[in-house]
Amino acid sequence: MRKRSIIPTGFVVIVLGAFLFACATVPTPTEQNFKTPVVTLNSVELAHYWGWWYFSKKVQPTKGKAGDYGAPLDFAFIFDIENPNPYPVMMEHLKFTVAFEEFDLNTVSSMETQWVPAGKTNQVRVHAMFDGRQSLLSLLVTGGFKLKEKGMGVGAGGAFKQLEAWWVGAPEFSFPIYVKEGSAVFKADGLTSVVTFSGTFPQE
Amino acid sequence: MKDIWFKVLVPFFAVAILVGFSTGWAATITVGALNDMTGATSDVGKDYALGIAEAIHYVNDMGGINGKKIKLYQFDYGYRIPEALTKYNLFKRLKCVAILGWGTGDTEALAPTVARDKIPYVSASYSGHLCNPEKTPYNLFFSSDYSSQARGLITAWFDKKWPNHKDYGNRKPRIACCYMFASPFSSSAIKAAKDQANMLGFEIGPDQDVSLFAIDTKSQVLGLKEFKPDVLLHTNTVMSVAATLRDAYSLGLGADHIIVNWGYDENLPRLAGKAAEGAMGSAPWAFFGEDVPLMDKVVEYAKRYNPGIPMEKRTIHTVQAWASVLGLAEAMKRADKAGNLTGPGILKQGFESMKDLEIGLGLAPVSFTATDHRCQTVINVYEYRNGKFNALEKVDLKSRWPDKWANEWIGW
Repeated sequence: MRKRSIIPTGFVVIVLGAFLFACATVPTPTEQNFKTPVVTLNSVELAHYWGWWYFSKKVQPTKGKAGDYGAPLDFAFIFDIENPNPYPVMMEHLKFTVAFEEFDLNTVSSMETQWVPAGKTNQVRVHAMFDGRQSLLSLLVTGGFKLKEKGMGVGAGGAFKQLEAWWVGAPEFSFPIYVKEGSAVFKADGLTSVVTFSGTFPQE
Repeated sequence: MKDIWFKVLVPFFAVAILVGFSTGWAATITVGALNDMTGATSDVGKDYALGIAEAIHYVNDMGGINGKKIKLYQFDYGYRIPEALTKYNLFKRLKCVAILGWGTGDTEALAPTVARDKIPYVSASYSGHLCNPEKTPYNLFFSSDYSSQARGLITAWFDKKWPNHKDYGNRKPRIACCYMFASPFSSSAIKAAKDQANMLGFEIGPDQDVSLFAIDTKSQVLGLKEFKPDVLLHTNTVMSVAATLRDAYSLGLGADHIIVNWGYDENLPRLAGKAAEGAMGSAPWAFFGEDVPLMDKVVEYAKRYNPGIPMEKRTIHTVQAWASVLGLAEAMKRADKAGNLTGPGILKQGFESMKDLEIGLGLAPVSFTATDHRCQTVINVYEYRNGKFNALEKVDLKSRWPDKWANEWIGW
């Protein structure tokens, strides 16, 4: 009877020992040892491209309903997410504003959580869709004075001229794309760290 | 040994596993937010969206909804109405108990749907016709409505400025309205404004059609020269209001300006320059950084969660977003406490149980009833002078005209 009990007892001791060893060797995140992760813009891709066009609602489409439609631009922003800590951290949220030249056109978020292993670098790809119609309205309502100062003209004519330059030049990245006001929220065992980042593509 | 295994070690591991997973098991409440960070209203929509997320962090840090954390699903819809409808369906699939909406477009498009689905919709569209629960029972907001703002602004100018005018006592004061005729948002307060002006004995001049996209309004200003207005009411957004102020200044129109909230923020003096001096406007909440209860938290959370955005770029729209979130959170807490954290519960036991609620942020006391969703009776009027927005007057419309407030002015 005694001999038979040695096997389970030994198993329990080994498991408990391993459990306690693991607990003792993995550092616990603390305010003091929580190093700020680093977010860097790695590259920008024009993920999907439809050229430049704009139809007003006066134009009858072959199929479907008439409306004010502008060509979309789908850019993908690839970031390196580096975790300098000896324990994993969770990125809860990442957000940044995209500007074409000096015009803020889009603020993009990634709400999907991801774990970055200790000492490793993950990559995250965030798509930003630029809709020709919305970008036109954004320029008209908020960028009117700036367009005039830039010499693009006033009203819809100036805004269309600027949009066409961007949409046609996008495949060659003929204008600087700025990632600005970026922030990412990282968590580790109840601790929170917010990281700022920015970048330019193509690099200046 | 068998006894030891079952009596000690199994419970030990069970407890260890439970403790390990316990943080993931905390109860959450899902809330949707529909924001414009790319479209026609993104200049103000972005700051509002940032404020929504920061305020939700604050609510969660303060214990959430009676211990339950809020999980926020926040989406940009670029002011595209079809996308707003699509995102609304997603919110339903995510079992959101309430939605923090945005502008006139999405709010009006979704009003019948949220009423049918019984989902409270707290918007930043403050159109007076959203205040009648008979028509839009699940639409709510934490602000004075545009019509009441226009009435309050006209009254404040009439009380504070007109008596100092050289022609006071000799003739009627003259007012004209500048707004985009085709925009439901811009034109929503005009009927109430003219009603108020008539009631106070103004002479009303020709309306001027000012596009929301206008940066040159000389023809509209020249169109008013003959009428010689003493005051202009503006109901557009900031850029076109700034353009009108600039042109009125350069052409020597000589009128004062009163501006409804979306045309009156920290960017107005940046765009209008000297022409903004003396401009009066309605601000239902304090300006960013103003010394009012809870502003320290607004600033702290802006710095903590969006440290990459300079504080001078943050605006009243962040404060406005906090008012929406804190108001909704209070409604959810009340409904939860009553054991009814559902759409109807949040409406009845939450919002419609609020009476003279002090939220802070410079917001006047909040009251909703089952028959009246105008939560503010007091209009906060500011004046921009010497580089600052200064509190000028609080006009309590309900106290001053109780019969009209109760019987005539709701819903338009």
